[in-house]
Amino acid sequence: MELKSGNQACSYIIQSQEEEIKRVALELHESINQNLYTLQTGLNFIESGIEQPELKNYAKEMSGLMERTIREVRLLSVELYPNTLSTLGLTAAVKSYAKLFTNTFGILIDVDSQGEEKLVSDPESLAAFRVCQEALINIAKYADTDKAKIAFTWGEFSVKIEIKDTGKGFDTNKVMESGRSMGIAAMGERMRLVGGQCNLTSELDKGTTVSIVLPIQS
Amino acid sequence: MESLKELILTECDRLKQGVPCDFVGVALQNRNDPDITWPYAMGNRNEKYKYITVRYGKGIAGKVISSGTPMGITNFPETILGKITDYPIMLAEKLVAAYSVPLVWNGLPKGALLIGYRNARQFDEHEEQKLREVAKHLESFLSSHFTDE
Repeated sequence: MELKSGNQACSYIIQSQEEEIKRVALELHESINQNLYTLQTGLNFIESGIEQPELKNYAKEMSGLMERTIREVRLLSVELYPNTLSTLGLTAAVKSYAKLFTNTFGILIDVDSQGEEKLVSDPESLAAFRVCQEALINIAKYADTDKAKIAFTWGEFSVKIEIKDTGKGFDTNKVMESGRSMGIAAMGERMRLVGGQCNLTSELDKGTTVSIVLPIQS
Repeated sequence: MESLKELILTECDRLKQGVPCDFVGVALQNRNDPDITWPYAMGNRNEKYKYITVRYGKGIAGKVISSGTPMGITNFPETILGKITDYPIMLAEKLVAAYSVPLVWNGLPKGALLIGYRNARQFDEHEEQKLREVAKHLESFLSSHFTDE
């Protein structure tokens, strides 16, 4: 009984956190950024009407700063919640994140998809996306490698995703015992909440593989 | 005539001879947008620096360029502000300490010169002075990066 209510609380916390993140991301993208864009257009219009060179330069600088801010807000919004997940699907969202990841950490990611991609519900695809994100961040932090691979295998009733690196690997027992495995536990929990499975294998000097299986509701 | 790359790497080498650092990197803003890349490096462990693009105001180079002031990290990741993933060059090169100064072109900070160490370290006046000196030399080459010269 206690265990069940603990799991439900965990599920509730993750779900409400994700809903809040999505709300903030959409608010940034659809409301705040639209207003900033309108302000920038206004600034450009004012700048074109100014004849005094100093003031004109100042207005141009302001417009440049506004452009940078719009870009920052857009990227922040995408970082919080990838809109492509609902519009283009899981593979496209992971491919897009992999590109951003390479630009951020310099680690090349090869994304491969086998089989026909199926429609996955929002909470399930978000859970799988977050696990991929966590696994890649762990590669950047600990694996000491410059490349990794993500492989999707689409079946009729499930999808298997493997995130594999050939980095320095680690002793899984040691890490589990040390209590420094919260990220790994969170990946497992996220998958469990949507009825999936998460498995991690690692070998010293050979690399790490995170493997998830997500059932697809017909 | 030496290419820009040769000129910059010669200066980086001079810096590496003058201070006992493990890594020297030059970050520059792109010509047409505010993003920052690491086109030149020395003492690198891998090629990751070539693919890293830092946003203006983010990471050590982004912060040095946006503020126009030097920045030092003495014991990464213990002494940093923000998340460790906000410092990709430190992660990529396994740096534990780094000191970076801005590179100014046309009166504006447009780049950053960085020295990095793979062990914890406090920076002394000699290192900071040497870095500023080499930065001055590098600034004189920046025209060829930012214009069609």
